[in-house]
Amino acid sequence: MDQTFLTTQVGSWPRSKTMLKALRGFQKGTVSKKDYLAVAEDEIRRTVELQEKAGLDILVDGEHRRESFYAFVTDKVAGTQLMSLADMLDYVEDKAEFEEMLRTMDMPASAIKNPTCIGKLSRREPLALEDFRFLRSVTKKPVKITLPGPYLLTRSMWVSALTRKAYRNHKKMADDIVKILREELIQLRDAGCNFVQFDEPVLTELIMSEECDRRTFM
Amino acid sequence: MINRITKNVSGIRIGVHVCRGNWSKQEDVLLSGDYAKLLPALERMKIDQFVLEYATPRAGDIKVVGRALSGSELGLGVVNPRTDSVESVEYIVGKAEQALEYYQPNQLFLNTDCGFGCFASRSVNVEDVAFKKLCSIVEAAGRLRKRYT
Repeated sequence: MDQTFLTTQVGSWPRSKTMLKALRGFQKGTVSKKDYLAVAEDEIRRTVELQEKAGLDILVDGEHRRESFYAFVTDKVAGTQLMSLADMLDYVEDKAEFEEMLRTMDMPASAIKNPTCIGKLSRREPLALEDFRFLRSVTKKPVKITLPGPYLLTRSMWVSALTRKAYRNHKKMADDIVKILREELIQLRDAGCNFVQFDEPVLTELIMSEECDRRTFM
Repeated sequence: MINRITKNVSGIRIGVHVCRGNWSKQEDVLLSGDYAKLLPALERMKIDQFVLEYATPRAGDIKVVGRALSGSELGLGVVNPRTDSVESVEYIVGKAEQALEYYQPNQLFLNTDCGFGCFASRSVNVEDVAFKKLCSIVEAAGRLRKRYT
């Protein structure tokens, strides 16, 4: 392969109506995990075909199996609960400010879901190993696996009213997040994955949102 | 935190993607500013590649990152995943050529600025447009390879 100007993409692919229906059904308990994953796998196959057709060098799976690029960890990590930003309104300290943030930033409170920490965090199952294995099985091209970054997770998972029961402070929780991501990285490497991308949209927010209280939970 | 995760892990390319939000198609509510203030944090990260958005003017000038981080690979964001119009091949080639002032062709990756559908029920784009954007990136890479390698 020509090793200059390698082309790739950053992660998620637009979800089809079929995919969204299966995801919602699975979350409500009306669609079995097996059926939901079967839909996701079809979507991944299609996303891979499209990337191959476009001629991309390094492929991604489109993250169809994930609620979002970071909230999906609630499926995999013990001590977490998936909550919409609307659900979280009950637990944030300054409700008025939180609502104002959602409104001015055009954030859909019910569409964005947060992986809130409610207990001691540990990997129930690998975060992305199955994603890698499946992607590997449907394409011969090089692939990239995306994982939520540690800053993103630390910032989004901490909701004081709920997290304090398990951790004294952010730092203690962050230690477990580091451990989880390191285990995952090594396991992916050992499985033959040669490209991992950690997503950290949060880093810019920490610095660029001048009022530091403005939390987007991302 | 990144270095604690990656310490002594070799045999795998490790990238970090940083952006300014991808939840809305209204550009003015997303975050804005160049990477200068982030450099102290980015410079300390022992990783192989920074995957950064550059298809939006909100990202600032490439030289900020080019001067400080050209020891690593750059995943250069060349298309905006939130817009309906497809970036032209010339536009993408132009973006890459700006980056070539600081990076070698084998350090430079071309990618989207971010994902196309981060939140399940709020994809920021449709598949047809996303596909065309990928085709534009691939065609630009082909042109760049002819010109520079």
